[in-house]
Amino acid sequence: MAREALLELRGVSMAFGGLNVVDRLDLHVDEGEIVSVIGPNGAGKTTLFNLITGVYEPIDGDIVFAGESIAGLEPHKITQKGIARTFQTLRLFLNMTVRENVMAAAYGHTKAGAFRSMLRTPGQRREEREIRALAEERLAFFGERLMGYRWDQPAYSLSYANRRRLEIARATATKPRLLLLDEPAAGMNPRETQEIAELIGKLRTDGGYTILVIEHDMHVVEGISDRVVALDHGVKIAEGTFDAVATDPRVVEAYLGTGGMARK
Amino acid sequence: MSTLSVLFDASHVLASQRWDEFLQQTINGLTLGSVYALIALGYSMVYGVLKLLNFAHGDVYMVGAFIGFGMIQWLGFRGAGDTWAPVVSTWFVLLVVLAVSMAGTAGLGVAIERFAYRPLRDAPRIAPLISALGVSFFIAYSMQLMFGSQQRDYNAFGIDNGKLFLDGVDIGNVRVPLLRIIIIVSAFVLMLLLWLLVTRTRTGKAMRATSFDREAAAMMGIDIDRVIVFTFVLGSALAGPAGVMFALRAPASVTMGFVAGLKGFTAAVIGGIGSIPGAMGGGLILGMAEAYTQGYISSKWSDLFVFVILIGFMLFRPQGLFGKADIRKV
Amino acid sequence: MSDDRLDPYDSGSLSAPLPGAAEAAAAEGATSPAVGRDEWVARHGANLAGRGGIVGTIQARLASVPWWAWLAVLVAIVALIPVGFESGYVRRVAFDTLIYMLLALGLNVVVGWGGLLDLGYIAFYGIGAYAYAMLSSSHFDVHLPSLVSIPLIVALGAVVGLLIGLPSWRLSGDYLAIVTLFFFQLFITITTNGDDVFGIDLTGGSNGISGVAASVDPLSFFGWELPQLTDAGAFNVAYIYVALVVFVIVFVALRFVNLSRTGRAWRSLREDPLAAEMMGMPINWLKLMAFSFGAAVAALTGTIFASLNAGVFPNTFQFPLLITVYAMVILGGAGSMGGVVLGAIIVNVLLEVLREPGDARYVFYVVVLAGLVAVLRFSVRLVVVLGGTILLGFAVHVITSVVSDRAVAGSPAGGGFLTGAVDRWVVLPDSLGAWAPISYVALVAAVLLLTTISGWWRIAALVPTLYLGAFVWENVMLAKPEPTRYILLGAILVTLMVARPAGILGERRVEIV
Repeated sequence: MAREALLELRGVSMAFGGLNVVDRLDLHVDEGEIVSVIGPNGAGKTTLFNLITGVYEPIDGDIVFAGESIAGLEPHKITQKGIARTFQTLRLFLNMTVRENVMAAAYGHTKAGAFRSMLRTPGQRREEREIRALAEERLAFFGERLMGYRWDQPAYSLSYANRRRLEIARATATKPRLLLLDEPAAGMNPRETQEIAELIGKLRTDGGYTILVIEHDMHVVEGISDRVVALDHGVKIAEGTFDAVATDPRVVEAYLGTGGMARK
Repeated sequence: MSTLSVLFDASHVLASQRWDEFLQQTINGLTLGSVYALIALGYSMVYGVLKLLNFAHGDVYMVGAFIGFGMIQWLGFRGAGDTWAPVVSTWFVLLVVLAVSMAGTAGLGVAIERFAYRPLRDAPRIAPLISALGVSFFIAYSMQLMFGSQQRDYNAFGIDNGKLFLDGVDIGNVRVPLLRIIIIVSAFVLMLLLWLLVTRTRTGKAMRATSFDREAAAMMGIDIDRVIVFTFVLGSALAGPAGVMFALRAPASVTMGFVAGLKGFTAAVIGGIGSIPGAMGGGLILGMAEAYTQGYISSKWSDLFVFVILIGFMLFRPQGLFGKADIRKV
Repeated sequence: MSDDRLDPYDSGSLSAPLPGAAEAAAAEGATSPAVGRDEWVARHGANLAGRGGIVGTIQARLASVPWWAWLAVLVAIVALIPVGFESGYVRRVAFDTLIYMLLALGLNVVVGWGGLLDLGYIAFYGIGAYAYAMLSSSHFDVHLPSLVSIPLIVALGAVVGLLIGLPSWRLSGDYLAIVTLFFFQLFITITTNGDDVFGIDLTGGSNGISGVAASVDPLSFFGWELPQLTDAGAFNVAYIYVALVVFVIVFVALRFVNLSRTGRAWRSLREDPLAAEMMGMPINWLKLMAFSFGAAVAALTGTIFASLNAGVFPNTFQFPLLITVYAMVILGGAGSMGGVVLGAIIVNVLLEVLREPGDARYVFYVVVLAGLVAVLRFSVRLVVVLGGTILLGFAVHVITSVVSDRAVAGSPAGGGFLTGAVDRWVVLPDSLGAWAPISYVALVAAVLLLTTISGWWRIAALVPTLYLGAFVWENVMLAKPEPTRYILLGAILVTLMVARPAGILGERRVEIV
């Protein structure tokens, strides 16, 4: 019953100048899994996301998605193949409305070109309606938060937590199979954090997405993950269930230094 | 036998003619290239520190030429009927002309930075570029308003009874007039001074740090404003003498800045924009390329040739000859 | 598409919570301080709405007028110009303004939507014009009918745009600026020297392609020709209507593109190129498309221009025209179609008015006055400045006239009812000599200095600066309209970028870090 992993990194390395930021990393995410990536700052977690999404090209190794090698592809092509992400520092289209933010992300799987748009062909108008409906549906996923009058508000008017949710909604509008969430709970209070954790679970069960999460908040990691991968200085130092990884001495050392104590 | 010897002699003459032609064009290229290098340096340094293409630089160069014109008229051609009757020796006059034009263009450059670029330091990239366009236009047409659109001839031949052209050095059969020697030598001296200032002084090091990473440099305690002003002073100061050197050989007009600016750009890009040795090298290469095309092909189409070179570089080596490839970071 | 649940202009809403706020608060749970969040939204809506009171209400009503209504009004006005004005000059200006409006629309796509600096834009305009002159004239004796040549040339413009934009694929916008600048220079070289390309007269050289050497065909539709001049030798107004139709078509087409997924992608690209790419948008291709679109619009405009002008000359397609169109786009507001059209009208009318010293004088004083009112509002300071300047002027005039007759012997250029007042107020020497450049430089320095000081020092410094400005304007600038117009355009560009980059109608962008 060996399923082929949805995403697989084989011996991936990345360096800036002479500095190795990711070193022969092997990682896999199976379809339907929620995998968390943890590690101290500078461990290479966001670089990992950048490698997967094509911002960087690995200097060594391969990245395989759904059986196809995606290393070296352009980022928008990778997104069109089914990988979407959010950003550690939010990167919304602030001056566009909430709905427009999400509609924009539908570009990759729609095809009305500029000519058809100029002429407003029936096909183009139908596609516009579909895109709009898709955006509203994705926003509805978050309950009442991003509904109704909010759709026409500019994104900069949203609260911080709502912006994070919007970014996730936008990512899902690209119709991905794999979602990369970069610190989705950053800057949230405990109640919002709890909500995000539930949301991530809901994204898997109701949305059917496979999810790879970078997260610092261990409550969240514990609550959502099927599997946890720990990185330090670009190298995988532990992998397994949350309990196994959290008590792994190498992980503890990476976070707390030698002579540190267990997390609890 | 005699036919052969005639042919042999003929080919000798032809070969030496070819060699002379080549030498001549090379000297042309060096002269032209020196001017381009000085202009290119201004572009490169400002781009390195501000990531801004200072379109107004060409017009600063033009102002330098005009300042030089005024100075030469005032200090040199004071005799009856505008003849050469300098206050002091010719050499001194030339030196003063160079120095004053340097000071003038440096001041202009600083003013431009202060009023047209500094307020836009954190604006999106396109904003200072458009501002630069506006400044370029403003300066060029202000000069036209004040001084009219006709060309100003330095009357270099009139300087000291044509000494700049009659004296010179002979390399083989080719005579290199004194003027060219002065131009090439002064340009190199200036570039050397610049090189020393940039590599040996603290502000020079600060400049290089800023061009690498402005935010980090600021966090290290470097006064970014001072560094930027310093850069503009250096870059614009070089444009003045460049204008004077050019105008000694061809009439100056208010529109000369535009084309010179283009060539300066191209030179900076070829050498690797942001790189000082690159600007120097790029300028010389461009000057040579233009001289050879003008000499051997046609002067009308040398611009096309230069454009092709530029496109070639952009397609195959956008970082220029001496630049470093850009590392994209998120 | 106004949501009538949201009416921030309802004066009651400043204190009342937004409709839907209560539901949102309930959704967020009992512990969430929905008051804080939604009140910010409500306040923000009101802030964005602009000032309260009458001005605010007017602004609001204007903002809710649909775009096509504005377009219809504009079309109606332009269509009535030939009816209302018999003067060939006015009609020609109307045509030229339409051309500029088209050019501004095209440049807006590149600069405003694509965020690219295209310094060769006018070359595409020139290519369109020259191509028309080659394909529909007796130059090569090819007389393609307009309905064939024009679409062909539009396509040509788009293709050349693609080719020129291609080298900067993936490189920064600066490189594109350099390439386009050089492309422009090349275009100028080819058109000016193109009368001898391997023995072929390609572009007519500096004489261009015109009625002298080769007659350029007028527009023709289905065999029916539109002569450029009427039988009486006057400008054929039909061309205004043709240009108007083309303008409407281009405007509507661009509007539809902007509302579509391509327009959304361009907006996303402007907001955050990296995020846009991560959301599946091919940003390099999108930029290239914007560039190519602009080139196509420019080429189209070139054909219309060439057909009316009955000739093309290298002189037309030069750098000053590029700066003029840029000034129009930036002044009107890059990114806003209505804005750049407005900018085109304002700038072209301004430039026309500046041709005649008498009229130009009015513009100067009106603009300065308007500027002062805008900055100082109706206040004590305004009175002080105006009063002070007037008094200073008379005082200086009287003193100089006593000291030297020649200093006031000159007379104001041009005509108009202000000349009498100007003659007594501004010092007008009969010849300026070296004072011309000195006073000009002093004025520039004074204006720049003004920006560095503030408070009452600034008010005090404003008085002599204004008088100096009037002096320079009357004595130096009015006499030379050509450099003056470009000086003003350059100054407009710099000032806008520094003080109000959004121009008149451009997007006021919020950038919260």
